[in-house]
Amino acid sequence: MTEFLFLIPLLPLCGALIILFAGGRMPRRLLTGVAIASVAASAAVTLWLWPLAADQSRATLFTWFDAGSLQVPMELLFSPLAACMALMVTGVSALIHVYAACYLHHDPDIRRFFMLFNLFVFAMLVIVLADNLLLLFLGWEGVGFCSYALIGFWYRNPVFATAGRKAFLVTRAADVLFGIALLWLFHLTGTLSITAINLQAASLPPASVTILALLLLAGACGKSAQLPFSSWLPDAMAGPTPVSALIHAATMVTAGVYLLCRLFPLISLSPTALAVIGLVGTSTAFYGATCALVQRDIKKVLAYSTISQVGYMFLAVGAGTITGAMFHLLTHAFFKALLFMVAGAVIHLASGEQDLFRLGRLPKRSPMLFWLLLAGSVALAGVPLTSGFFSKDAILAACFARQTLWWTSLGVAGLITAFLTALYALRLVYLLTADREAASGHGPAPRGLVWPLLPLGALALVGGLLNLPEVWGGHAGLGRWLATPSGLSPSHGLEWGLAFVTLLLVAGAWFAIRNRYRVPTSPVSERPCVDFLIAGWKFDSLIRFAITAPFERLGSELERSLERGFTTSWPAGLGRLCQATGQKLRVFTSGSVSHYLVAMGWGIILLLAMLLFLLIF
Amino acid sequence: MNGLTNIPALSVLLILPIIGALACMVWGRRASVITVLLETTVALLLPFRVETTVFPWLRFEDWGWIERYGARLSLGLDGLSLLLVWLTVILLAVAVGLSWPRYRQSGFYALLLISCSGILGVFLAQDLLLFYVCWEIMLLPLILCIALWGGAKRVEAAFKLLLFTLAGSLLMLLAFLGLFLLHGRQTGDYSFALQALGTTVIPADLAPWLFGCLALAFLVKVPVVPLHGWLPDAYQEAPAAVTLLLSGVLAKAGIFGLVRVAMPLFPETWTSFLPVLGGVALVSIGYGGWLAFVQTDLKRLVAYVSVAHLGFIALGVAAFNVIALQGAMLQLFNHGITTAALFALVALVERRTGNRQLHELGGLWSRTPQLGALVLFFSLAALGLPGLNIFTGEILILLGAFGAHPWWGAAGMLGVLLAACYTLRMVQGVLWGSPRGPEFMKDITRTEALILGPLAGLVLWFGLYPLPFLKLLRGPVEQLLAYLVTTGGLP
Repeated sequence: MTEFLFLIPLLPLCGALIILFAGGRMPRRLLTGVAIASVAASAAVTLWLWPLAADQSRATLFTWFDAGSLQVPMELLFSPLAACMALMVTGVSALIHVYAACYLHHDPDIRRFFMLFNLFVFAMLVIVLADNLLLLFLGWEGVGFCSYALIGFWYRNPVFATAGRKAFLVTRAADVLFGIALLWLFHLTGTLSITAINLQAASLPPASVTILALLLLAGACGKSAQLPFSSWLPDAMAGPTPVSALIHAATMVTAGVYLLCRLFPLISLSPTALAVIGLVGTSTAFYGATCALVQRDIKKVLAYSTISQVGYMFLAVGAGTITGAMFHLLTHAFFKALLFMVAGAVIHLASGEQDLFRLGRLPKRSPMLFWLLLAGSVALAGVPLTSGFFSKDAILAACFARQTLWWTSLGVAGLITAFLTALYALRLVYLLTADREAASGHGPAPRGLVWPLLPLGALALVGGLLNLPEVWGGHAGLGRWLATPSGLSPSHGLEWGLAFVTLLLVAGAWFAIRNRYRVPTSPVSERPCVDFLIAGWKFDSLIRFAITAPFERLGSELERSLERGFTTSWPAGLGRLCQATGQKLRVFTSGSVSHYLVAMGWGIILLLAMLLFLLIF
Repeated sequence: MNGLTNIPALSVLLILPIIGALACMVWGRRASVITVLLETTVALLLPFRVETTVFPWLRFEDWGWIERYGARLSLGLDGLSLLLVWLTVILLAVAVGLSWPRYRQSGFYALLLISCSGILGVFLAQDLLLFYVCWEIMLLPLILCIALWGGAKRVEAAFKLLLFTLAGSLLMLLAFLGLFLLHGRQTGDYSFALQALGTTVIPADLAPWLFGCLALAFLVKVPVVPLHGWLPDAYQEAPAAVTLLLSGVLAKAGIFGLVRVAMPLFPETWTSFLPVLGGVALVSIGYGGWLAFVQTDLKRLVAYVSVAHLGFIALGVAAFNVIALQGAMLQLFNHGITTAALFALVALVERRTGNRQLHELGGLWSRTPQLGALVLFFSLAALGLPGLNIFTGEILILLGAFGAHPWWGAAGMLGVLLAACYTLRMVQGVLWGSPRGPEFMKDITRTEALILGPLAGLVLWFGLYPLPFLKLLRGPVEQLLAYLVTTGGLP
């Protein structure tokens, strides 16, 4: 039975291969059908095998590496954590595949698109299910490549291709640190199996554990677009919207959080590392929220919002609640994928317009889309009783329950960010409903674009039931299933207090936004501080100034000076040396007979002398 | 079938290309195809039906040669040389196939074949004089090819290559003769046999010099960074087939020589040499990668990529433990396949667009998607994407290097980032953007697919299931380590 676990990642891979080799001869409907069916089948298999997760099933296909003490089997581990993530990935992917089939139905190159899309799901599932860090790394780089290729999907525009390259390089920079952690872990433990590493973690020297955890954090930050590696995600919006929804909202960007959850037994041994993870999470959450507040491009609002929400998940890992992190990861996947797909439909209706101040009148044009947008936005804003409310409150409660100055202040920062989140979520709704002369659209949204959103809309609203706290009469189902006790139990008073504060914050945000955006407004005047926020705190230019530009300049400088010496001057010197020696030796063959006669004479005398010498002695 | 076992397959392997070259001169270039096919058959049959005669070898053949100086034609094949023989034969086939539509003179093919014979000799020779002779045979025909069929600056490039490598190989000959005399004086047995010379007691003040001569000769051929002056021009000016052999196989001969000749002859000096090699390797990785990033000529770019990748192999050798060595030896094959494919693709792109400058290329994907997909695929392999062959070697090398010296592994990891920088720049310059160049271009032809398809298959095979080959290499690698321990090189 456990062998069937391999079906989960291999079905999407088969889909990708079929499309790659036979896609050219298929009609479009069949091609999209294969893509959707392979992912949906994978979701079905995940559900079918769900009971296996309870007893941590494993399945091995073959040995990948075997050298010296290194053993790397192609082994899957179907733990409760992996099962949750796998179901979310396959389920959301299947819906987004359906959406994409409709969204891209005019594109001439859907074969490449769906090949990469299926390949992405495969790689993501490898991350989710791998037990070995090296196998996980295979998926990790695989999703990186798919993300690269899909961001630059419309490759004729060099700007898009550059955005893809940036995404790959920034995440690769972080992967270097992840890779070093991997080498070090093998050096210390002699294995790369996550389970074995977690078991041995307690016996490792504490200082190494701290540095290891920080290296892993860096790797996670790269994939999850956390500070200081966040700058690639806003640019990644160059890709088609289904790509943004799947890769840059629901699945790939949460891979970093998932990695930290998998290695939590190791990481949790170092309080310093946990504190740093919390700090990175909170500051990124705040950073993303401030940037999202002023963006004009609808997809960039959502991109910065993703950065910010993933920051909350990091905060949860830092605070020690895996359940909280996974809960928010799941609800975020629902509402953010929903929001992205609504945004895609809105852009589609407005024939490609992405500027929020030129869109509007959504309720009139497509009421269905408006309600879906509202569902996603209230969940994002954390309006009480929606999924986002429960998941975010669980994280903040864990922070406050620690009752130390550090975690309380991080919790307060999280609350402030929650207020900002409500502000930008509601701003999005108000701007899209504003009654302004919008770019003329064409007709209602196609049905294929809307119906995949319905399940997500429902989940965004009631997803909180997954892990309803006991205060609210729930059973904390997710927490029990994952069975990763955080050792913290927030008091009921704390939970009620937090819920009340959240309610106040959301209400305050609503009033503020209503006053500001009730009447259709033009964009804010170009104030320097707004510019600063729109440009993402100008991190891009900083990186360009400090790293990229010097790297290129120094490289060209090397090419001109040192390399010229190696390839030109030095060989030329060697050549000249040979030539000069030859010139010196030329005197012996001067061409005049008298010289040769003299040389011959000396030669004969020498030979005779040698002969004489031999005869005498 | 029993008769097959008695055929001296290794000698056949060596002599066949020479006969083929003569046949080329008589019957024209068609003979080269037949030779390649025969050679491939022999090479593929090598591991089968073997009766081991001498211990570590899969096959061992020994013929008298110059009895007076104790030089014999002794050839030995083990897992490592088997892999390299396969690589040589594969790349020879690629080189011939790639040159077919471009070069009509049979002399070109004859020279390639002769060079191939020399390369195989280097990988198989167990006698130092034979090794030296093969070492010269493998290079001189290729230099001739560059000088006769190369690009605009071909004579200059050929001279540079000749100067560098000739200087190196003369030093090597000097070291061999020195050893020969020392050994003869000590034991009275004048012999060039590698195994016998390994037991020579070398005076402590002489050893570093002799070893230095050898190491220099091998490192020039690899080449590592301060000695790479010949490489960019030679790679750039040479015909595609020659570039492919130079980077794909001849570079491997340098590493092979270090491990299989320099190490056994000077085990004690070897251990003190390893840190130097590690440093040079790291410099190669960084410097090669950095320069690859700023190149504008596509072929020159791939040349520097090759320098960086060879730096990784040298790093694995320098770490000298089981994992790193297995990785490095496997990487010899992997790098040969990938770099050969990249150089072949550069040639194909150039034939279609008539251009190699990155800023004048672009948008190839929309004109020739299949060719574009192949460029992307092999670039990803060069970038070190897991699941493709370069990653297999690199991760083993890095794991091993980290075990030897943690900061070597960490610094090597940075090279992986550099690899992404230059590869993606290349991919973007060639594939993406709006289409440029001629309006109509043929997508990949059947012959070209026949050349590159198997290479792509090998890239995947070595990336996903390298186990059989790792097993093949385990024996030779363990012997190397055991040898160093027993001869007192390692504590």
